[in-house]
Amino acid sequence: MTTAATDRCASSRGLQFNTGNGNTLQPLDIGHNDYLGLVDPDTAFWALIQKDKLGEALSPGPFLQQYREKAAEFAAEMDRFRFAVTPSAVYFNPTERCNLNCSYCYLPETLRQDGRHMPTAEVLSALEILKRYFLSTLPAGFKPQIIFHGAEPTLNWEALLAAFDRYGDAFRFGVQSNGTVLSDDQYDVLMKRGVAIGLSLDCAVDEIVTRTRKTWDGHSIYAKVVHSMEKLRGYPNYSVICTVTGENMHQLVETVDFFHQSGVSTCMLNPVRCTRQGARDIKPADQDISRYYLAALDRTEELYRETNRRLVVANFANILIAIMAPQARRLMCDISPCGGGRSFFAVSANGDVFPCSEFIGVPAFNGGNLFHDRIGAILKTPPFKLVTGRKVEDIDPCRRCAVRHFCGSPCPAEAHQMNGGMDRTGAFCELYEDQVRYAMRLIADDRHSAFLWDDWDRDTTTTFELNAC
Amino acid sequence: MKTTKRSDAKRPIIATRKSCNPNGTGLSHYVMMDSKK
Repeated sequence: MTTAATDRCASSRGLQFNTGNGNTLQPLDIGHNDYLGLVDPDTAFWALIQKDKLGEALSPGPFLQQYREKAAEFAAEMDRFRFAVTPSAVYFNPTERCNLNCSYCYLPETLRQDGRHMPTAEVLSALEILKRYFLSTLPAGFKPQIIFHGAEPTLNWEALLAAFDRYGDAFRFGVQSNGTVLSDDQYDVLMKRGVAIGLSLDCAVDEIVTRTRKTWDGHSIYAKVVHSMEKLRGYPNYSVICTVTGENMHQLVETVDFFHQSGVSTCMLNPVRCTRQGARDIKPADQDISRYYLAALDRTEELYRETNRRLVVANFANILIAIMAPQARRLMCDISPCGGGRSFFAVSANGDVFPCSEFIGVPAFNGGNLFHDRIGAILKTPPFKLVTGRKVEDIDPCRRCAVRHFCGSPCPAEAHQMNGGMDRTGAFCELYEDQVRYAMRLIADDRHSAFLWDDWDRDTTTTFELNAC
Repeated sequence: MKTTKRSDAKRPIIATRKSCNPNGTGLSHYVMMDSKK
């Protein structure tokens, strides 16, 4: 599959910008005193231009010449990244059950309350199938990732332990937990084995957390999660997810303060995924979540300046990285097609395979069963093709949006379940508009490193560095 | 991070891009903190 960037059919030689087959450069007000953005939406190339130099930059000269020489390479790079990667990670639900009843969960309540654990033998059998599949598709020596996910995966502790024992050399393991089940000794087991651990906490205020994350009888889990966070303090392979809703967005600055005080080095401030009605009921308006979200980002920078210790907001760092090195992203929601079904897929507790865990509660997106169908065939089924074929060029207004490759119009599950189809946008368009502008302002002021991991560009090489003007 | 601090004088144009092998990229709503490969 190719896109408009590489699939040229007009007679134009593409010598001129913004006409014919020439590259497009869209100016973008980024809310900066001195700089405007200039973006080629097809190649995700960008430049920041001093406002009084825009005319000069867009006239024949070294800037346009240097970009023209690289444009085809960048277009091909984006096409490879968007259409040629193969899966290397699996979200694996070892149980359907959860001990919590969170308002915005993307899994149906009946499953979480009365579902089954996958028996340990089946978990091991599934991992063997996955191991063999990845041995046949990934380069030698590459370790795919298995993320035990939920529902609450640690409820099936025995199966997890068996998996780590037998397949610790075959996979990089991670666990996303609600932080209310494991004992200190069990956390020690995970840390000793180097398992990545993600916890979930939505706020520093117990009462606000309990509005959306609570036990089935409505009780608080706040103290247990905070205890787990304290136990994991200093563990490098650990992060915390805060799901941002209309209930907690007002507290985002205080939340990042709390995370930083608790020694968290990476968090995610994920806007609630509106796949199910329970989440849509507490969906904040774009402009509201955006205001609080950007204030929280501001606060993380202040904390870094004050303490010399970062709290990286991974989902924002991913936007920054998408701008500076599109292929170096760590998260694959913010590109189209998204990572669902193409860089990762999800396995439910009965072995059914879905493009992403967001789809596990939507039977129409079941591509087959791990125990009965070949993975390669599952990835080519119509439900998977619906997701892996969803691209911004087919969505309005994304097809004319300058930041479409820094956003990706997430998420297909929301587009399908909330907005009526795969050719619709996801839930938080304006939040992405604001994040990209914020990121570009940081780059303009050379402040972006405060928002990134030290080694974010370790495996990259510089392919464009303007040396004119 | 392999970036150089810019001088106080603002550059008329800022434009950089880095590339890498995209294989092994990415999850969705979860981030693994150890190395990518």
